[in-house]
Amino acid sequence: MTTALTQGLERIPDQLGYLVISDGAVLASSGDLENDEQTAAILSELVATACGLRLQRSHDAPFKRLSVVFGEHSLLVTVSGQKLFVVKRQNHVQEPIAV
Amino acid sequence: MGCCYSSEAEASDQEEETKRLLEPATSPPNKVLNGAEQSYHNLPSARTDEQAMLSSILAKTAINIIDVSAADSQGMEQHEYMDRARQYSTRLAMLSNNLTHWKKLPLLPSLTNQPHQVLASDPVPFADLQQVSRIAAYAFSALSQIRVDAKEELVVQFGIP
Repeated sequence: MTTALTQGLERIPDQLGYLVISDGAVLASSGDLENDEQTAAILSELVATACGLRLQRSHDAPFKRLSVVFGEHSLLVTVSGQKLFVVKRQNHVQEPIAV
Repeated sequence: MGCCYSSEAEASDQEEETKRLLEPATSPPNKVLNGAEQSYHNLPSARTDEQAMLSSILAKTAINIIDVSAADSQGMEQHEYMDRARQYSTRLAMLSNNLTHWKKLPLLPSLTNQPHQVLASDPVPFADLQQVSRIAAYAFSALSQIRVDAKEELVVQFGIP
């Protein structure tokens, strides 16, 4: 079960680690995110907040993926079957974001 | 109705079990204390407070002990196991329905059926991130520049010469 969940995650290009979270508990983890329960808790809350924001009055999912972009890497989060899938990926564009 | 019936059955089952379980648990200490027992059978008037205390401790211990090996020895039929398993699972399902109210996080909507594809797809374009950052910076700057510009009197008199 767990291997089926994580096989696809390991093949994601430029991935530096992943987390699979269910009901606040880490089901699987690897790389930079190995056993990173703090990140898991923060991202769970972030996704719950984002899901609560309804910009359009529709019953569809408000988004497919949440990207938290840092300078060198990004954390990408999605939800499927009550499980949170988090992948840490290397950013290719490393220019600073000009404001 | 089904619930009432099952709980009654359960209660009687439990009583049966306690009775059956206690017998083997109490028998070994009886053997050990044979001497003591005999002594107060022979001299009932000489039973001291100490002995009364000891026997009450013994009784309490006997009540608290559950002899698992004794429980196993009374053979349960296959269908009895199945019945119990079914009974317990329905009860658990009922309880877990009530527990959903206690959950801290609300149920998350399923955002996708292919999480791996969604996570493996291209990252957000840099130009988009720049645009969002710029808009946010404009909004912040606009908000910070909101101020009251007092040009007229706050109280104005109408039609009074």
